[in-house]
Amino acid sequence: MSLLQIKDLRVEFQTGDGAVNAVNGVSFNVEKGETLAIVGESGSGKSQTAFAAMGLLARNGKAIGQALYEGKDLLTMSRKELNRIRSNEVAMIFQDPMTSLNPYMRISDQMAEVLQLHKGMSKKDAVNEAAKMLDAVRIPDAKARITMYPHEFSGGMRQRIMIAMALLCQPKLLIADEPTTALDVTVQAQIMELFGDIRKEFGTAVILITHDLGVVAGFCDRTLVLYGGQVMEEAETEALFARPSHPYTRGLLRAVPRFDRKDEALLAIAGEPPDMSRLPEGCPFAPRCAEVRDICQTAKPVIAGEAHRRACHVPTEELSHV
Amino acid sequence: MLSFIARRFAVAIPTILILIVVSFVLMFAAPGGPFNAERPLPPQVLANIEAKYGLDQPYWKQIFDYVWNVVVHFDFGPSFKYKDRSVNDIIAQGFPVTLTYGFWSFVVAVIVGVTLGVVAAIRHNTWLDYLAVGISIGAQSLPNFVMAPMLVIVFTLWLGWLPGGGWNGGQLQYLVLPVIALSTSYMASIARITRSSMLEVLNSGFIRTARAKGLSDGRIILRHALKPAMLPVLSYLGPAFVLMVTGSVIVDSYFSTGGIGVYFVNAAFNRDYSVMMGITILMGALTILFNLIVDLLYAWIDPKIRY
Amino acid sequence: MFSRTTADQLAGVANAQAVKGRSLWQDAFRRFIRNRAALISLVLLGFVLVFAFFGQYLSPHEPDFVDFSLRRDIKNLGAPSIENAHFFGLEQEGRDLYTRVVQGTRISILVGVIGSLVAVVVGTLYGAFAGYMGGRIDSVMMRIVDILIAIPFMFVIILLLVVFGRSMVMLFVGVGLISWLDMARIARGQTLTIKNKEFVEAAVATGVKPFTVILRHIVPNLAGIVIVYATLLIPQLIITESFISFLGLGIQEPMTSLGALISAGASQLGFGTPWMIGFPLFFFLITLYAFFFVGDGLRDALDPKDR
Repeated sequence: MSLLQIKDLRVEFQTGDGAVNAVNGVSFNVEKGETLAIVGESGSGKSQTAFAAMGLLARNGKAIGQALYEGKDLLTMSRKELNRIRSNEVAMIFQDPMTSLNPYMRISDQMAEVLQLHKGMSKKDAVNEAAKMLDAVRIPDAKARITMYPHEFSGGMRQRIMIAMALLCQPKLLIADEPTTALDVTVQAQIMELFGDIRKEFGTAVILITHDLGVVAGFCDRTLVLYGGQVMEEAETEALFARPSHPYTRGLLRAVPRFDRKDEALLAIAGEPPDMSRLPEGCPFAPRCAEVRDICQTAKPVIAGEAHRRACHVPTEELSHV
Repeated sequence: MLSFIARRFAVAIPTILILIVVSFVLMFAAPGGPFNAERPLPPQVLANIEAKYGLDQPYWKQIFDYVWNVVVHFDFGPSFKYKDRSVNDIIAQGFPVTLTYGFWSFVVAVIVGVTLGVVAAIRHNTWLDYLAVGISIGAQSLPNFVMAPMLVIVFTLWLGWLPGGGWNGGQLQYLVLPVIALSTSYMASIARITRSSMLEVLNSGFIRTARAKGLSDGRIILRHALKPAMLPVLSYLGPAFVLMVTGSVIVDSYFSTGGIGVYFVNAAFNRDYSVMMGITILMGALTILFNLIVDLLYAWIDPKIRY
Repeated sequence: MFSRTTADQLAGVANAQAVKGRSLWQDAFRRFIRNRAALISLVLLGFVLVFAFFGQYLSPHEPDFVDFSLRRDIKNLGAPSIENAHFFGLEQEGRDLYTRVVQGTRISILVGVIGSLVAVVVGTLYGAFAGYMGGRIDSVMMRIVDILIAIPFMFVIILLLVVFGRSMVMLFVGVGLISWLDMARIARGQTLTIKNKEFVEAAVATGVKPFTVILRHIVPNLAGIVIVYATLLIPQLIITESFISFLGLGIQEPMTSLGALISAGASQLGFGTPWMIGFPLFFFLITLYAFFFVGDGLRDALDPKDR
């Protein structure tokens, strides 16, 4: 049994201007100890997919479908059951470390409460354990600094604290939502390195949500490409990079600066990301696609394939090679 | 933290002194001087004042003596109207009453206001939220001098449940209407401020983190959301306190509680300057003290202020 | 009588203005028109203004004329009646209440508007100057505002009214005295952001004197926030005036204000003449709500961030 199975997940937001469909039938699996990347532009529904699974959608959002964690549906279980899984078995790290820690509480209190809640530890033991974990994410002088407040740490340090906090209960799955986007490039590299070490040490499965294909390449076993709230392509990361079979994935890869091919110019994908409140009837990428056919305008492509899944009306062989 | 407290005191103390001196100067600036206004003062009163300040002394000496007496001895001098009572006597008689219902009004305004605001925020966009918002918008513009007669119409004249005035040693049924009259509009303001700041906090990233940790809703509100949501409320409490101190004058006059406000209004009609000054200074000092407490609370909640 | 939070809420207005430039006023107009509550309040406000300034022409009675024929039994003979043209009945002295309410509404609005103008002129200039000069001048000037804002000014106004005699002028001075403080804070805050804009730097670089820069370049850019603040200030000052008049220390006979009329009506509660409090209270509340909602509407219109 897969650790996490997302089946036909849909997320809908009620707004003043009508319903917005952020996620439209996304399915994928995460195996134990595996690393999956979810890649897409902002607004592609990648973060909302994770929020929906964790029950963290905004008030006006609604999730339909299934999110099976070890066979139990996270979407329909009671709040109490879900709270037992959160952080204890599935932990999450957010994009902006500046706002995701409570600025009015000491780090020690924020970290200790996780252990007190899930492991029934005493406050003192919990703080000690938390300090050890801060050590593990390489925060210097952790024992002394644990009583400080978030604003006394830099952005990179805060993200380390978030990671330490997420690992406290040694969860089986860690969802990292753009964990390095808000950080400096050098700090990004350090954080990604830290993720690598954590995987080796704890054997935690990781879902890495990002718009940065450069981060994915060195880190993830498999990659899922989202567009307009739908899966466009999914494959082993190496296969995806070597043989992208979807026009959108190809567009994304062309937009990444690469050092191994000097001759190619960097190309942005033409057009705008889709308006999620008025998605086209057919393929969501059709309006921007260079390979578009008549059928793309009227029918949604169905995702197909085994190891290498893709959702495109045009067979891979017929795509023009650029 | 200590230097922070010291600095706040450094502002508070001159403020009180300025208040004392300004009210004294104001009194001396009165056309014809303070002591021989329209009516000649009763001889006994004049003798009291003479003994206290020495009217032949130059003004600056009188001001100095007054400030000295107030600051060092908490002595506001003799009344200009009653020959056998000092300002201290009058304050001692009226202040406990005002303090009693003032305290309860403040407690009610804060507790009911915050609760209403938090509930409205948690139940955002439900009928409960709309009801709370409706009540607070309506009540916010109901000044205490409008509340007071309306309460008397309903609870005394129509329903006959509660007495429309008097104090009777502060028994509960005499306390109810003054407290409601004084607290309603501030309760409404506190509810509105709490609601909007709680909504903002609940939408913030660190609350999402707290949910992702598996904390229950109750714990999230109490441990994570309440403190930051209280900051805007706390900064409103200073002005609210001023307004409630002011409003107590209305309540005292309308409900005949025998509180300090009645003496102030009577003194205003009798041109009993020393009583007016005494009460003004007392209320001013209280307000400044209260603001000091609020500042310290603020610094205690918000770690970024601490230095 | 205003809260610090109003100041904070207003802070966004001028920012929005600085960014959006010329089309702001058209945008704001469109947003205001779409705000139903504000639009209704504007109509209501127009109705109140017409009533206050032209209402007396509808009645054959004078506000200070005592109708002795009806005075002996006001409870029965003095009730509101179309036949004898006492539309709102008689007040306790036997005078026509309709014309008294017209007069009272007019005076209350005048106090509010004039006080608000004083606050706007003094506060804007003070705040703009402090903000523009910056440095030590700024911190001293704002510290003074901090000190003054902590004083319960109602007591000082009453002291002022007693010492210098009760008159309209003194009331304007007193009300103006308390109301410019918040305006000064807001104006200063906005000036700090405006003064670094290119057009100000350009003016300074070409050798324009500080005062000219403040008047020509800073003050006009504060217009949006000043309009919003002035509108919201008017009802607060009406409350302040009514508060003082309710105590009998404000507007003097034969003139009247809504607060004085409410006070008179409230004192007659037990005598079966509910119209005496009902009509003044009605006009008091609709005037307040109209100003509050129009001000709120203006704020929302000028500060799109807040929607």
